[in-house]
Amino acid sequence: MTQLQARGVVRAYGPTPALRGVTLDVSEGEIVAVTGPSGCGKSTLLHCLAGILRPDAGEVTWRGHRIDTWSEAARSRLRRTEFGVLFQFGQLVAELTAAENVALPLLLAGTGRREARTAALTWLERFGVAELADLRPGEMSGGQQQRCATARALVTEPRVLFADEPTGALDTLTGEQVLTQLVRLAREQRTAVVLVTHEPRIAAYADREIVLRDGLVDHTGLGLDAPLAGGTR
Amino acid sequence: MRPATLVRLALAGTRTDTARVVLTALSALLATLAGLAALTVLAIPTPAATDGNANRWSEQYRSGLLVEPGLRGGTAFALLMLTIPVLALAGQCARLGAPSRDRRLAALRLAGTTPGQVTRLVMLETGLAGLLGTLVGLGAYLGGRELLHRPDEQGRLALPTDVLPSTGALAAVVLGLPVIAALATALMLRTVTTSPLGVSRKAARERGPRPWAGLLIGLGLVSFAAVRPVLYQLDGNDQMLVRLVPLLLLAGGLAAMIGVVIGTGWISYTCGRLLRRHARRPPALLAAGRLMADPWAGSRTFAALLAAVIFGAGAAGQRAYFTAQDELDREQNRLVGVDSGADPFYLSTMDLVDAAVAVAVLIAAGGLIVALVEGIVARRRAYAALVATGVPRAALSRSVAWQALAPAVPAILLALTVGTLLGRGLFGRVTAGGSSMEVCDAGASLCDDPATREQYTRLVQTPPVERALEVPLEQLAWLGAGALAAVLVTVGVGLLFLRVSTAVEELRTT
Repeated sequence: MTQLQARGVVRAYGPTPALRGVTLDVSEGEIVAVTGPSGCGKSTLLHCLAGILRPDAGEVTWRGHRIDTWSEAARSRLRRTEFGVLFQFGQLVAELTAAENVALPLLLAGTGRREARTAALTWLERFGVAELADLRPGEMSGGQQQRCATARALVTEPRVLFADEPTGALDTLTGEQVLTQLVRLAREQRTAVVLVTHEPRIAAYADREIVLRDGLVDHTGLGLDAPLAGGTR
Repeated sequence: MRPATLVRLALAGTRTDTARVVLTALSALLATLAGLAALTVLAIPTPAATDGNANRWSEQYRSGLLVEPGLRGGTAFALLMLTIPVLALAGQCARLGAPSRDRRLAALRLAGTTPGQVTRLVMLETGLAGLLGTLVGLGAYLGGRELLHRPDEQGRLALPTDVLPSTGALAAVVLGLPVIAALATALMLRTVTTSPLGVSRKAARERGPRPWAGLLIGLGLVSFAAVRPVLYQLDGNDQMLVRLVPLLLLAGGLAAMIGVVIGTGWISYTCGRLLRRHARRPPALLAAGRLMADPWAGSRTFAALLAAVIFGAGAAGQRAYFTAQDELDREQNRLVGVDSGADPFYLSTMDLVDAAVAVAVLIAAGGLIVALVEGIVARRRAYAALVATGVPRAALSRSVAWQALAPAVPAILLALTVGTLLGRGLFGRVTAGGSSMEVCDAGASLCDDPATREQYTRLVQTPPVERALEVPLEQLAWLGAGALAAVLVTVGVGLLFLRVSTAVEELRTT
């Protein structure tokens, strides 16, 4: 069942067009990779789908509701409750511990402090970094930070996870490990994933691949399931 | 590297870098004006004693602060005190745009610049900005001197526009300030390593600040409390007084101010720890994390404001002393049948001191804005990422407000208390009477005539009276409210930058 839809999405930065009419569907639990060369509009498309940016034209709907017309506050609420967002780096709050960072979305949703910490520890455990719970981001490696960030993105059990080059700042082995865990856990809780990447190896973890070129969908294909991705298509 | 290349690279940068240069120059300009004003007051020549001018007053001025030689040192000191918030503002400005400068410096290192050349570049930028400010300040001083040289009908001047500090003193200010600024920059860079991959700073201390501040504050209070006993002990020994009393005042004042500023680090850390333990909502939790991670940020940010508050609280105590002493003197005079009226001289002098405190608070507020905006800009990527994940900007705004206000309120209270105690160390009580005086009950003609004066004169013994001074709570409350209002306004202004800093475009920056 289609949950998230983009119809003819157009977005420009000043005179420079980034998206020139992109149409895309994302179904429940589906993992979609958006690939293409640098500057083709991948991140812009992800930002429009996640409600971070409003398209200049076209529409984005979530479960039948047009979210591109919603207010900033309403879209923020949607991202807080239904979506998870993961970036390449620099997203953890430097002054908070790993457990506090992961608990943050739950606290924002009104969850009690003790309960939020318990959930945070559970998610850190799932990503194999429970022993880092009381460390700050500056005391962790890049891979450990990204595991914490992924745990934070999934802690609210979102319906869709938007991941923008989530392994871009990691070495190959660490990137594979993080992505394997992400895909496994997303499949377990039937979270759809929109994965922006320029690496075919990463795109292979997806069920479907959308290739953008110059702000338009160039072609769509099936992803090649990586050996460790697990789950079914 | 050729000097021209060094200058070109030092002045390269973004609009934020330009803003930093302009603000640094402005700080240097203000410091130059304050320094030159103080030197000008000190340059006023004291005339030789004559029959008509036994007190050696400089009668060419209107203000008693300039006329009386004994008051000129204090006036110059008060003007120099204004440079404290100005220098703090300069310190804050030096941090403005640090992330983009760090990236630029890393790029220069990648291109082959040595660490020493990077340090020289940063020193040159600060030094040139400072020199620009001091030169404009010198121009403003010389121009203002000409414009304000307007003697009144009696030929008296409002300001000492008829004297000029020595050329050496002028050069020391104009050239010395940029050199000091550049050296201070080099000193700050000692904790920074600029590599081709970026700029790293030595890790902040893991343990919170120790409460050594109490020792320094205590030292300051003891020094001030010792001034009166020293004055009594050394009565008549002028040479000792000249050396010891100013030393006690300077050392005590500095120790107390440094103690309060260091104490703010301890307060920030303690506030952060308490917030972290008890906070239920994310804004307070975020603020707690930041307060604990860098408790010295509070010290740096509030240093100038707290110095102004301490000075203001001490001045409030002094005003209370002058008011009480004037009242007591008038009461004593009334007892012997003389109504001398109020003596407004010292109170009008205190109006000037209060104006200086207000100016200092305003300058400190400027430094606060710079610090707050710098803090927001430095974290813009993390803020933008949080907003992208659905964190409401209002929650981030509240965390910024928590971070500023949680340490500000107790720190301002501490500064008020220390300033008041310093003032009370000097002016704890007022005394009058305990002596006999001749009172002539007739008119001026009879009293002035030696033949008749004795007939109408009586000897009156006034009883000794000593009163404890009341704490000027109202004035202290206004001062505290003013300082807090300055913090609130700066938080409000700083939050305007939060929206810009949380734009999604920030996610693309590295």
